Amino acid sequence: MAQVTQALPRPKQAPWQRRNLKNIVLITLASVLPSLLAIAITVAFSIDGAIGLVAVFLPIQILATVAVGQYLYKKRGRQDAVLMIFTIFFSTLVVVLLTSVLVSVFQRGAAMMRLSFISQNATYISSTTSLDYGGLGHAMLGSLAIVGFTTLVTVPLGVGVAIYLTESRSGSRGIVRSLIQSMSGLPSVVSGMFIYSALIVTGVSHQIGLTGSLALIPLMLPTVARVCEEALRLVPGDLRSAALGLGAPSYRMFLQVVLPAARTGIITAVLLGVARVIGETAPLLLTVNAAANTNLNIFDGPIETLPTFLFRNLSYGTDNSIQRAWGAALVVLFLVLIIFTLARTVGGDKKVAKPKKRK
Amino acid sequence: MNLSTATSHLRSEDINVWFGERHVLADVNLDFPSNQVTALIGPSGCGKSTFLRTLNRMHELIPSAGLAGSVLLDGQDIYGDGVNPVDVRIKIGMVFQKPNPFPTMSIKENILSGLKLSGRKFVNGDDIVETSLRRASIWNEVKDRLGEPAISLSGGQQQRLCIARSLAMEPEVLLMDEPCSALDPGSTRRIEETIEELSEAMTIVIVTHNMQQAQRVSHQTAFFLAEDGNPGTVVEFGSTDDVFNRPVDARTNDYVNGHFG
Amino acid sequence: MAAEQTKSGSTPQRRTLTVKPTLLGDKVFFGITSFTAYFSIALVGLVLVFLLIRAWPALQHEGINFLIGSTWDDSVQPMVMQIFPMLWGSILLALLGVLLAVPMAIALAYLIEFLAPKPIARVATLLVDLLAALPSVVIGLWGLFVFTPVAEGWSELLHKTLGWLPFFANETGNFSRSPFIAGWIVAVMIVPIITSVTREIFSQMDRDLINAAKALGGGMASTLTRVILPTASGGIVGGTLLGLGRALGETVAIFFVLNLSFDINWFDVSEARGGSIASMILSKLGEATDYEISGLMAAGVVLFVSTLIINFIAGYIVNRAQPWRK
Repeated sequence: MAQVTQALPRPKQAPWQRRNLKNIVLITLASVLPSLLAIAITVAFSIDGAIGLVAVFLPIQILATVAVGQYLYKKRGRQDAVLMIFTIFFSTLVVVLLTSVLVSVFQRGAAMMRLSFISQNATYISSTTSLDYGGLGHAMLGSLAIVGFTTLVTVPLGVGVAIYLTESRSGSRGIVRSLIQSMSGLPSVVSGMFIYSALIVTGVSHQIGLTGSLALIPLMLPTVARVCEEALRLVPGDLRSAALGLGAPSYRMFLQVVLPAARTGIITAVLLGVARVIGETAPLLLTVNAAANTNLNIFDGPIETLPTFLFRNLSYGTDNSIQRAWGAALVVLFLVLIIFTLARTVGGDKKVAKPKKRK
Repeated sequence: MNLSTATSHLRSEDINVWFGERHVLADVNLDFPSNQVTALIGPSGCGKSTFLRTLNRMHELIPSAGLAGSVLLDGQDIYGDGVNPVDVRIKIGMVFQKPNPFPTMSIKENILSGLKLSGRKFVNGDDIVETSLRRASIWNEVKDRLGEPAISLSGGQQQRLCIARSLAMEPEVLLMDEPCSALDPGSTRRIEETIEELSEAMTIVIVTHNMQQAQRVSHQTAFFLAEDGNPGTVVEFGSTDDVFNRPVDARTNDYVNGHFG
Repeated sequence: MAAEQTKSGSTPQRRTLTVKPTLLGDKVFFGITSFTAYFSIALVGLVLVFLLIRAWPALQHEGINFLIGSTWDDSVQPMVMQIFPMLWGSILLALLGVLLAVPMAIALAYLIEFLAPKPIARVATLLVDLLAALPSVVIGLWGLFVFTPVAEGWSELLHKTLGWLPFFANETGNFSRSPFIAGWIVAVMIVPIITSVTREIFSQMDRDLINAAKALGGGMASTLTRVILPTASGGIVGGTLLGLGRALGETVAIFFVLNLSFDINWFDVSEARGGSIASMILSKLGEATDYEISGLMAAGVVLFVSTLIINFIAGYIVNRAQPWRK
């Protein structure tokens, strides 16, 4: 008769998942007690918050964690404890700073939100005019016009560079890539100075919307080119071979096969490019004249944009103008968040567009 | 067996290939007669796929690629002056190792993609689609879903779609680079049947790792080998029956009997 | 029939293969794309040329003193323009920013790639990307009204406790608009770029290497210091240089939080002395005379050339540290 072996009952936890009670208790204590103790001391001796954090909490926390690490895992535990604390401390610092920016902009900006602020322009508005009058409608439209024209010029340029970098077999691709890469570090104020010295000082043009648009091109171009290049690179070489093997000239191969496959990546590139320049201030301060009225014509007359509106109101320095600056900051932040979310949703998985499989 | 050059349709003469300074293929002289299937076999890295790519000028797309010798299609050198590589690739189609239908196109658009990509004018697209799919024996499976994305098909179906896509161009020669290596046995069998039917109308050159497959589908076989850093060469070339059952060279004998590679 | 190979013996003549497009359509296609590429590169050159032309009078008159002198005087004719205090101010700010940003960036990258569970890592990545997208004028606004009061407290605290160190000496009792505060703002601006480069390097690292270190009984800390950081050092240095380039060029964010005064502030980070090239340009260009514009353009050339060089080196290092990109 065949021997029947009874299956052993499967352990609830794999051996490596087993934690003994002592470890859990000690680690929990080391993570909770120091902060409670530190709060208690800080309150008892009425110490300043920052001192409390650095001079009371951190030493106690380090001491406690190191002690527990030493007790449980000897030297290794000691070192790991220190690493843990520093990693978490510095990461938290970044998160706190960012949260502080977001929260303060939302809080102080929200106080400014009213229909007139969005829909009106700033004609007849001074830095002390009541907040119920005047707004940044003209600045939103101006930003739209200026950034719109920049996009119109930059996207074909950037996509062209990306095509050159991925599809051509030219030997100078390396140097082109490096130069475009270093262009992404071009200080924005220098880009403004370039247009200022080339077109405005020379008397070719006044400080109009167009000069502002041109000053934004060198800033937007590297972003569009780089993201676009990555998108084109993600299109598998197989597809290019297949198209060429069917007797396609390179340009048809690109237009009919590569471009459709990289479509979402290119849209992401455009969005990120717009996000890059929508808040640019310094180049516009140098190349565009301020306007209080609405002007959509970038080829003539002064024109206001969101970031320069913010900057100028901040410079006036009155309570009301600073409040307007916070309002403008909220609007800019809101726009950036929208573009940012769009870019995330469109190019989220960074893969070539693949229609869903039908079940 | 006598393969007279007079009837040969495609022919390679003293083909040598380099990648940069590395000599990877030396003095390959092969005849590919009309309506015959030629199998190229040999261990990995012996240059058989590289050779296949020289036959329709896909080779020159690799940067640093070098070439000597000539490839004659009906006696005319495809690397000759004034010959456009695009025209060569229209006449000499290619099926790749991994199925590579265009993911953004439907089944129907994939079939017609070659015509559109090469800028040819055509009138009755539906007829071309049906004929091509029938010749690749996949018509019955996809005739009700021509508008669906090509990548909704299974791997084997995708590869037959790729064959159909090449057939829509009505090539004189079809090059196949290990077309079944990524497929299951069932799909492999269907494709082998397709190859047999197609050989009545065109010249076929197929690279394969699978020696049973070479024996099943091909009329003649060339055995490639690259020894110890030397460039790859053709060790033996002849009718499939001869190469597998009465090999002249000891190395061929070892290889076809599975002693190495 | 056996092999019918003709062994010619001599080296065969190589043929020239088609590398250039032959079809008209391809010629146009590659012509246009090459044009866009060369035009974009030319743009970098054009920026330099136009700034130089405009900067020439000042550069010619001041010579090397433009860089190493410390006087900016518009009461004499022609006015004296020397930017060393601003140049050093920019360098000091960039160094401070990098000093503060690098620990934050490495900690974040380490947290995201090796420590945190997936969902937390994803949120952290999102936050870093969001931080990168924040316009500098918004950071400047926040820096002036929210951060400065807080950082003044930190600065005062440092002075009280570590005031015997020359770095934290402060004679005026004023802690506002100092390089210390502006350095923090710069750090906030460059944390994202350093983090993303470091993270990319971490994520592409050979996991077997790390597992091997763990298998040898190494803890997290020794794995980090002995395996991860040495292997990723090239990328971290490159990312830091990229951050340094950004820091030098940062303008609007520090314009409001940094005092502008033409005396050299070597290292008294809590004193409201010094400045930066970029914010000097922004504050003076609006109402400058022709000759003063020339001096400011020369300052722009200095800014542009230094960031270009730093970025070029950084790009080279980062690319070398990321061989999988090729």
